[in-house]
Amino acid sequence: MSSAYNPAILELGNVSFSYTQGSHVIKDLSFSVSSGAFIGLLGANGSGKSTILKLSSGILKPASGTVTLWAKNMYSFKHKDRAKLICYLPQTLDITVPFRIQELVSMGLYPYDVPPAMAVDEALELVGLRDKAQAYLVDLSGGERRRVFIAMTLVQGAGLLLLDEPLANLDIKFQFELISLLKHLQEERNISVVMALHDINMALKFEKIMLIKNGSILGFGSPEEVLTESEIRNAFDITVTIRQHPEGKAYVYYE
Amino acid sequence: MPKIKIALLIALLFSVCILALFLGPRGINPLDLSDIDRTIVFSIRLPRVLISLLMGMALGASGAVLQGILRNPLADPYILGISSGASLFAAFGIIMGFSFIGTFTIPALAFTGAILTGVIVGIIGRKKGGIWPERLLLAGVGLSFLFSALLMLMLSLSSDEGLRRSVLWIFGDLSLSEWSRIPYGSVFILAGLLLAMTRAKALNALILGDELAHSLGFSPHTERLVLFVSVGLMTAASVSLGGMIGFIGLLVPHIIRFFMGADSKVLIPAAALGGGVLLCVADLISRSVLPPMELPAGIVTAIIGSPYFLYLLRRKNVLSI
Amino acid sequence: MEKGEDEVNQGAILSPRREDFFLEGERELTMTVFGSQRNFSTVLNSFCCILAPRLPGSNSQGCRRFIQLRTVTENFLICLKTAFFFFSLFTLYSLFLTNASADNAPERIISLAPSTTEILFALGLGEKIVGVTSFCDYPVEAREKAKIGGMSNPSLEAVLSLQPDIVVMTTDGNPKEFEARLRSLNIRTYVFTARRIRELPVAIRDMGRVLGAEEPSRMLSAEIEKAISRLGNNRPSDSRKKKVLFIVWPEPLIVAGPGTAIDDALDLLGVENIAGNAKTAYPKYSIEEVLYQSPDVIFIGKGMQANMREVSRGLLHKLGLVPAVKNGSVFFVSDSLYRLGPRIIKGIEELETCLK
Repeated sequence: MSSAYNPAILELGNVSFSYTQGSHVIKDLSFSVSSGAFIGLLGANGSGKSTILKLSSGILKPASGTVTLWAKNMYSFKHKDRAKLICYLPQTLDITVPFRIQELVSMGLYPYDVPPAMAVDEALELVGLRDKAQAYLVDLSGGERRRVFIAMTLVQGAGLLLLDEPLANLDIKFQFELISLLKHLQEERNISVVMALHDINMALKFEKIMLIKNGSILGFGSPEEVLTESEIRNAFDITVTIRQHPEGKAYVYYE
Repeated sequence: MPKIKIALLIALLFSVCILALFLGPRGINPLDLSDIDRTIVFSIRLPRVLISLLMGMALGASGAVLQGILRNPLADPYILGISSGASLFAAFGIIMGFSFIGTFTIPALAFTGAILTGVIVGIIGRKKGGIWPERLLLAGVGLSFLFSALLMLMLSLSSDEGLRRSVLWIFGDLSLSEWSRIPYGSVFILAGLLLAMTRAKALNALILGDELAHSLGFSPHTERLVLFVSVGLMTAASVSLGGMIGFIGLLVPHIIRFFMGADSKVLIPAAALGGGVLLCVADLISRSVLPPMELPAGIVTAIIGSPYFLYLLRRKNVLSI
Repeated sequence: MEKGEDEVNQGAILSPRREDFFLEGERELTMTVFGSQRNFSTVLNSFCCILAPRLPGSNSQGCRRFIQLRTVTENFLICLKTAFFFFSLFTLYSLFLTNASADNAPERIISLAPSTTEILFALGLGEKIVGVTSFCDYPVEAREKAKIGGMSNPSLEAVLSLQPDIVVMTTDGNPKEFEARLRSLNIRTYVFTARRIRELPVAIRDMGRVLGAEEPSRMLSAEIEKAISRLGNNRPSDSRKKKVLFIVWPEPLIVAGPGTAIDDALDLLGVENIAGNAKTAYPKYSIEEVLYQSPDVIFIGKGMQANMREVSRGLLHKLGLVPAVKNGSVFFVSDSLYRLGPRIIKGIEELETCLK
């Protein structure tokens, strides 16, 4: 699945995981993420999307199997070195302490003893929040908050972003803004993105989709390959029709 | 900008110290010291001022750290049961009439009790290889109920002199300050403070949540343990120096956040300085308003601090909670 | 810890768990409460007594008591003025005293305060005592008596189960509500109201009459009166008044202030209590102020206790410049003056010996 030109930066091999004894949330999962990938993680609630992201970021340790980052065991990295390569943003960012945007984005520098390439200002510029550097996080809209943390990951300089439902609770406008920002970063800076999401129609715009059910991969490939009517029914237990938009794009019609 | 504010706070701290040395129930002219004045300034006021600074710093800083690691704006250094552990041990020592190391016996017992409680809370708060904020908080609250009950039981069973001494100790105050207590007090408090300040970045990350902290290159459980140890050291030393003083640990960190932001790198030293200033001023007031009587400093901290805090809460449009 | 007052002025103590926390202010509070109609009628009754002091039908102890105090100036106008002044005071007196009468001497007595326990023993009523508080430790026989709880929280059930003929209480530490509760259960009560040394002889005589120990009470009162008047005659002239501090507890520094038996004793001895101008009875005192006031003599109460010297060492070190410490005039004395009872005389004499 990883192309010959792009080496795998993250690889999960036969990973199993369970929160409680006996019942496996993730069973025998294997996949790899190559450099510059833009992957959507799709699946019903409780299918294991978040768990997969947490396993990939090293927050959770698998019961069995291997997680490798840049061909090295994930857990052999020092915390700070790992943080320079991979970055995970949780779904809920409920931070009520009055941090300023500037302060938050600068926290991306924490893994470094010597400041890295991208300055805080530059990152804020990229996400379009430069003039709000001194604002408080609590005063920003949901979309802006997401962008603050994206800026933080940019400063952190990790090549792989693992985002857990970054589109949740966002207006459709902000959803598109965020996606295009991430696409832009992917193209400009060769940043790989793995993102869990809900919206099947949004997933159709991704390069690659991983469809999850009960902790296993149903399909991993382009949206056209993976998101067939039968697979969607299998994954989500709903009946849908895939229709062709007059201008050529496919869309999912819920019945 | 934060550096200027910190410098201002330090200047404020020094001027408050000078004031506290020469003001009081009776003012003292520093240029014309009589024998009695000299005794008062050097043997009574100076150790008292230093202890109030140390205690205030410990409480302010540990409040700031604790609110961060527990991710709870209502946390204060006494919530983890450390103080009730200290009280229980001190009262036990007093009622039993222990005195193996002279006047140090009771502070030493209190310190032991506080540290022991901290360790128990830490052990109960531990699960799946890490310390969890909610477990820590609930373990602390539960343990402090248990210890308070045991303390009450002990106090109700002792009908002699020990009872009065225990009660006075628990609600103790700064009039007990002596030079001999300063060395050990400052060692533990400064050690805890330094530990907390070196882990300020980790504290910031922990405030963002364990997952983000992990993502930023910290091990949440290790960092929380280290910070918890620093809080334990500071709180234990502070309680053993002069009993329980309310308000500072809870509200000083919030007041500092109003003015200097929430960044722990600034917040921890600033809350320490702010706590020191507040307790020093409160103690000055408590021994000066009703001479020749003295009020407990904890009452004054709350009386001057709470309305100011509420005023800030109304004025400033920054939500800190 | 026998006297609730010791802790009262510790502002930090907010929870009234033990007798120690019983607030002195409660007495003042109760005086101003004229809630029920019954209270009001007793007030009226007392009022009538003042207007007609020799009214034959008056059976109120409070009135008699008042009349005794006022025999020198039986003047109608003064009575009227004082009536208003003591209006609230009388509510309490009459409330407390209406149930006590000398008709039949009680055989089973419960004492709800260490001071009254001591007086009862001194009056030879020790055999009749069936219950005391857990704080009653003097004389030694008192420790053998059944315990009914503390001063501020006596157990009603314990009191009832001992089937007392009368319950002796004090305004200095017992809750007024408890007295009301007992009376509502038709248990006789007697309330000992003296709080100063000069009030003690009269109060003891009154108590003796009610409890059927008139002769011993007269003797005890006379003894106390004799001591008071002897001291009154021997008082040194004001110009050479010694300054004295009586320390109740050294760390933190709690001293005997105004309104205490200790303050009265110091006054009788013709010395000046430097804490006499404090705002409360047992203030937490400023060490600096002691240095400035530089007392000539320092007494430390309960000095017979093993650790008191140890505990006081730090304080006395700080007070090194004070004349009392420099000249070795620091005396560890007993706790005889802590309770307003028969041991007062002994306590005064103890101080007197030290002051010579």
